[in-house]
Amino acid sequence: MARITCAALTKKYGDVVAVDALDLEIAHGEFMVLLGPSGCGKTTTLNMIAGLEEISAGRLSFDDAEVTWTPPHRREVAMVFQSYALYPNKTVRENIASPLPLRRQPAAAIDSAVAAAAAQLEITHLLDRRPNELSGGQRQRVALGRAIVRNPAVFLMDGPLSNLDATLRLSMRGLIKRLHQDLKSTFVYVTHDQAEAMTLADRIAVMRGGLIQQLDTPEGIYERPANLFVAGFLGSPPINLIEGVMAGGAFSRGGWRLALPNPPADGRSVTLGLRPEDVMVAAPGLARLDARVELVSPLGSETHLDVVAEGGLKLTLRVPKEWRAAVGDQIGFGIDPARLHLFDRASELRL
Amino acid sequence: MRLGYDERSAALLVAPVLGVLLVVAAFPIVYSFWVSLHDIVLTRPLRRPFVGFDNYLRIFDDARFWTAVSRTTVYTLVCVVATTLLAVLVALLLNEVFPGQRLLSALLLVPWATPSVVNGLMWKWIYDPTYGLLNGLLVQVGLLERYRVWLSDPDITLLLIANAAIWKQMPLAALLMIVTMKAIPEDLYRAARVDGANVWQRFVHVTLPALRPGLMLVLVYETMISIRHFDLFLIMTQGGPGDASLTLSWLIYVETFRSLRFGTGAAMSYILAITTFALSWAVIRFLGKRI
Repeated sequence: MARITCAALTKKYGDVVAVDALDLEIAHGEFMVLLGPSGCGKTTTLNMIAGLEEISAGRLSFDDAEVTWTPPHRREVAMVFQSYALYPNKTVRENIASPLPLRRQPAAAIDSAVAAAAAQLEITHLLDRRPNELSGGQRQRVALGRAIVRNPAVFLMDGPLSNLDATLRLSMRGLIKRLHQDLKSTFVYVTHDQAEAMTLADRIAVMRGGLIQQLDTPEGIYERPANLFVAGFLGSPPINLIEGVMAGGAFSRGGWRLALPNPPADGRSVTLGLRPEDVMVAAPGLARLDARVELVSPLGSETHLDVVAEGGLKLTLRVPKEWRAAVGDQIGFGIDPARLHLFDRASELRL
Repeated sequence: MRLGYDERSAALLVAPVLGVLLVVAAFPIVYSFWVSLHDIVLTRPLRRPFVGFDNYLRIFDDARFWTAVSRTTVYTLVCVVATTLLAVLVALLLNEVFPGQRLLSALLLVPWATPSVVNGLMWKWIYDPTYGLLNGLLVQVGLLERYRVWLSDPDITLLLIANAAIWKQMPLAALLMIVTMKAIPEDLYRAARVDGANVWQRFVHVTLPALRPGLMLVLVYETMISIRHFDLFLIMTQGGPGDASLTLSWLIYVETFRSLRFGTGAAMSYILAITTFALSWAVIRFLGKRI
């Protein structure tokens, strides 16, 4: 186990700043997910932690030892890649064992370590095959096996499930989560998939443009997004963002007014965030939103409605499957003001 | 079987090329085999008795043939091994990113694009005993006291010719290696580095296995062309001094076009062709199985 401390960690390629003075502390045994769109610096950060990318400025420490200039293999890290990175000419057994001879382990120890890892990942029957005879999910299990046998202090995972199909991704997600529970090592996991981040993480660092936008638990990030970017990045379908101004202590857009608890000062330009699931049947005590149904998308477990409110405001809403809405229906929705998110339109920060 | 319109027009379109191939490839192959079974000497053109495999048997009794076999073996081995090793080294260098790397990659192809005869003449000049570049350079830097007659030294003639051959054929091999290297995923090197593999181990465990298909191609191709090299010998040494550079293809040329013994010449050609084929097959079998 190890505690990872990034202090003003910076990576520059020429004039381009890929990671900008990143401060991040990852606790012993924590599952940290770096989440963001491509080019946000999450993989570069991971590579710097791995030692695969030279650090331009700042400090990196494992526990209390600085490792900024330590070569990768002396850092006690294991890495799993999106492309699996298995040696194509070696068998599964040889692939899983590959880090061990380099670490000068006796043959018997290697055999038992490989056997244990293979059993844990349920790939014992594949040990004598070669990577090109395996499916994507099996290949990633082998790659995980190669990481496990090293018994590293830190697991680094660079989008390990991104190349898998949806069903497989779900089961592998479970496998990785169980692995973390069993091994109790520190995990740093890079992904652009919000569902992976939400389900796996103890804490999520949402990144954009080389900066951390928000660092919090999955619930915290979903319930209290720090800015418009984070609000828009998490949630499927995405959050509805409604631009308006504050007037008389209420959010106002055209003729529609919505009284808010703790309203900011009047005249301020704001953006209101409404999660698709935060609508109910209109009831006393709730703010009311009248809208006409344009599109009904039943998903079985729930139904998504694309609606148009007055002033041409388009929203996507998630409602229980029992709602039998039809295109053209005029529906009065109820909104709990306490569940709304309010952002300053200029700074994009949460109010 | 009746052919439809498409098949008939296809056959019609292929026919001319097929005809040309029959005349320039199939016919010579069959005809030269026929020649190799007859005692044909051009000084007595009307006498051409059928002798069966006597020509072949006579060749195996000929001391010159076995000399040529050993010279060809040495020459081919030197050419193939040096070309392949140099190609891998050059590819490793040019696969790195450094200023001037693109220019250097382009320049690499100059020797390859040089016609073989020009290449032979160029090296003959370089090795020249009176005004050659090699003598000039070595004397000026003090490695040599006086000019040497390089190509007349039977101990090194073959190597000097091989050097000229390698100079010309290495670039194509290197290019093939570069292309193969570019296809190796970067993640494999990253994974190896995290596992603690040093530069040499990364080369052995990642680069070399991935190079195998390219290596096989280079080995087969270089063996096939080196074993049959002729023009360099014609231009530079004509088999000499003595029999120091007497290779099989030079012997075939002497036997056929100087002694005018077409029967034995054709038989030697057949032996060379079958050997080339067998060697290539062996390389493919040996390396191909492990890919």
